[in-house]
Amino acid sequence: MTGTWALIRLIVRRDRVLLPVWIAITALLPAGIASTTTDLYADQAARDSFATVSASNPAQLAMRGPIYDASVGGLTAWTLGSSLALIGGLISILLVIRHTRVEEETGRRELLGSGVIGRHAPLATALAVVLAANLLLGLLSVPALVAGGLPAGSSLLFGLSTAAGGWVFAAVAAVAAQLTASSGTARGLAIGAGGLLFALRALADAGGIGWLAWLSPFGWVRLTKPYAGDRWWVLGLIAVFVAALAAAAFALSTRRDVAGGLLPARPGPTTGTLSGSFGLAARLHRGTLAGFAIGFGLMGVLLGVAARGLDAQVDTPQFRELAATIGGTDARISDVFFTFVMYVLSQLVAGAALVSALRARGEEAAGRAELLLSTPVGRLRWALSHLVFAILSPLLLLAVLGAAAGLAYDGDVARVTGATLAYLPAVWTVVGIAMLLFGMLPRLAAAVSWTMLGLFLVVDLLAEFKLASGIVLDLSPFVHVPAMLLRGASSPVAPLLELTVAAVTLATAGLAFLRRRDLMPSA
Amino acid sequence: MNAAVHADGLVKTFGQTKALDGLDLTVKTGEVHGFLGPNGAGKTTTIRILLGQMRADGGRIALLGGDPWHEATELHRRLAYVPGDVTLWPSLTGGEVIDLLGRVRGGLNPRRRAELLERFELDPRKKCRIYSKGNRQKVALVAAFASDVELLVLDEPTSGLDPLMEAVFNECVLQEKREGRTVLLSSHILSEVETLCDRVSIIRAGRSVESGSLADLRHLARTSVTAELIGPAPGLAVLPGVYDLTMDGARLRCQVDGDALTAVLAELARAGVRTLTTQPPTLEELFLRHYEGAAR
Repeated sequence: MTGTWALIRLIVRRDRVLLPVWIAITALLPAGIASTTTDLYADQAARDSFATVSASNPAQLAMRGPIYDASVGGLTAWTLGSSLALIGGLISILLVIRHTRVEEETGRRELLGSGVIGRHAPLATALAVVLAANLLLGLLSVPALVAGGLPAGSSLLFGLSTAAGGWVFAAVAAVAAQLTASSGTARGLAIGAGGLLFALRALADAGGIGWLAWLSPFGWVRLTKPYAGDRWWVLGLIAVFVAALAAAAFALSTRRDVAGGLLPARPGPTTGTLSGSFGLAARLHRGTLAGFAIGFGLMGVLLGVAARGLDAQVDTPQFRELAATIGGTDARISDVFFTFVMYVLSQLVAGAALVSALRARGEEAAGRAELLLSTPVGRLRWALSHLVFAILSPLLLLAVLGAAAGLAYDGDVARVTGATLAYLPAVWTVVGIAMLLFGMLPRLAAAVSWTMLGLFLVVDLLAEFKLASGIVLDLSPFVHVPAMLLRGASSPVAPLLELTVAAVTLATAGLAFLRRRDLMPSA
Repeated sequence: MNAAVHADGLVKTFGQTKALDGLDLTVKTGEVHGFLGPNGAGKTTTIRILLGQMRADGGRIALLGGDPWHEATELHRRLAYVPGDVTLWPSLTGGEVIDLLGRVRGGLNPRRRAELLERFELDPRKKCRIYSKGNRQKVALVAAFASDVELLVLDEPTSGLDPLMEAVFNECVLQEKREGRTVLLSSHILSEVETLCDRVSIIRAGRSVESGSLADLRHLARTSVTAELIGPAPGLAVLPGVYDLTMDGARLRCQVDGDALTAVLAELARAGVRTLTTQPPTLEELFLRHYEGAAR
């Protein structure tokens, strides 16, 4: 473990902007939500009726789980529990991979490893920093909650539960980083595992299969029940799980070489059949794409199963009223559920599309584009061979998601797939923005694109709690997608066409900038 | 136009840093041209401009008679490039990369490919992620040498090779030269340039310091003279063109400008000489002199 301290300082130095921003925002959110909850629902009666309505909405159940207590604290924990685990989990995954596998892949780890640094130090420091950051943001959220009048013990438990969500996925990422030699695949594995665990919890809560929630960390962070009985021992369960995963990661890392994966490298073909930049791009994208397709297919099946029973299960006047408010008269409650869930899942698909869209920049940063572009392969052709996959990958993933969900739900594949595909132009717009950044600000393209997608998710949350105005919400392309499953949805053509035009314009501008600028390898 | 590369007053700035500050470079068709400079002198930046991957802020540049920025695709059919820091696609094998690069360059000579693989002792079945730096370099070198092109641009190509492989590399470059190809070889390894290059250009801090054949450059440089004298030679100290003069008993050492040699020898003859050694400057000394001069 020699050199640990120096490595910690290196990580903190490299993430000196991201870490404080993430910690500050996440630490402030709970008190903000608590105070709006107090403002919006002044007395217990108002909170009770809000809780009854929310608990009857399967989409809310899927996204957030059940409300354990209709107090201000209980509602705050319900609103944020899942979302904070999702955000903290995602950032923790990205950070751990960035400081472990990416370092090895780029050879920087080798440089550091030749110094006085213990074999386990890089993994240990990456984990230590990310775990500490999660703990810090959890603890920092407590004083403001207590100042707002919430019980100190429960607030501390809530803060620690938030931290625990990030911890679990930091440990998941630490294991994923040992399994494969490619940082992209490692990231995909960890995020995919996160997505499936979230879907599992959603199925448990929306489908009324309560015990299933115990199989998912997204269930655990709610099952600590802050402000609703304070089950501290669940934190112990999470800690054991995190420790086991971390131990597994260290054990795996001793069994492999630096920059190697666990799977032995078999000799490959002596000669190659790749004949150009498109063939190369296909080869580079296919593995990730197949992984994402399987992940979204499984998620679709889970959602379809969860939605299937909803109409019969919850056919009460209250539900019908809720469905009618959102989807117009005769709207099926399961359709309302799907509409909500798809809105969120489409943003996950956008994440997958971003992986493809940013790969060209990855090639440029790694210096591989420099070699390829010294051949008669032109810049535009090279960029387009990658862009094609960023365009086709969301088409494939939304279709797989819709088809799997439709099959498992009511067999009407065309209807559900139509609804998921309606999000395609919005996802393309995200791809377009990434392309524009790739052309204009290549060094910042990845960071800004991912932050933007994260902000779209946060904006949804803020707008729902009226912490952001509608104008802010309108900035997200996903808001403009009509809900195809619900009647009374406005004409789908105009907004979809507008988004497509926006996407094409952004991408074209990005390509134009790319043709004019210098190539910028990261070295 | 018989210059493969002609750069005139190239300027390139990155923010506050001036990477190139009026760089001139001429590579004649059919020659092996050494492009010398310490790390950070601007060699790679110049090459990136040559390849149309960066655009110069000022100056003129012609590559194979064309504009490297606007005609990149067409010009790249006629050249092969080996980067200084070769990064390859981790999931492809070396053989796949060689064939990919060969195909996009318009085809490889399969016999030459096999011969090069054997000479460089490269296993093409291994995935690029497990290759060492030297092996990644070999992949790019095999792909370049097996392509049918007019110009080879090699950026510090032997930095990861062991001495045996360096010898193989030297043979390959000389073979390319015999076949009439032009080679631009950037390096900070002077012995490499000394054995291979017809002409060299030396750059420092983004400027060309010196350009010409090795003979020309040596002519410009000082010869070091060591002599054991019989009598005193008081006139030497005041001769123009004599530097670093030391007397240790009867033993004399000094550095002499090329055009001052006649006068120095006359002075030594007058004093009487027991032994005399003169050494032509090594490239290292050339180098050091230029850098010292510029640092002052």
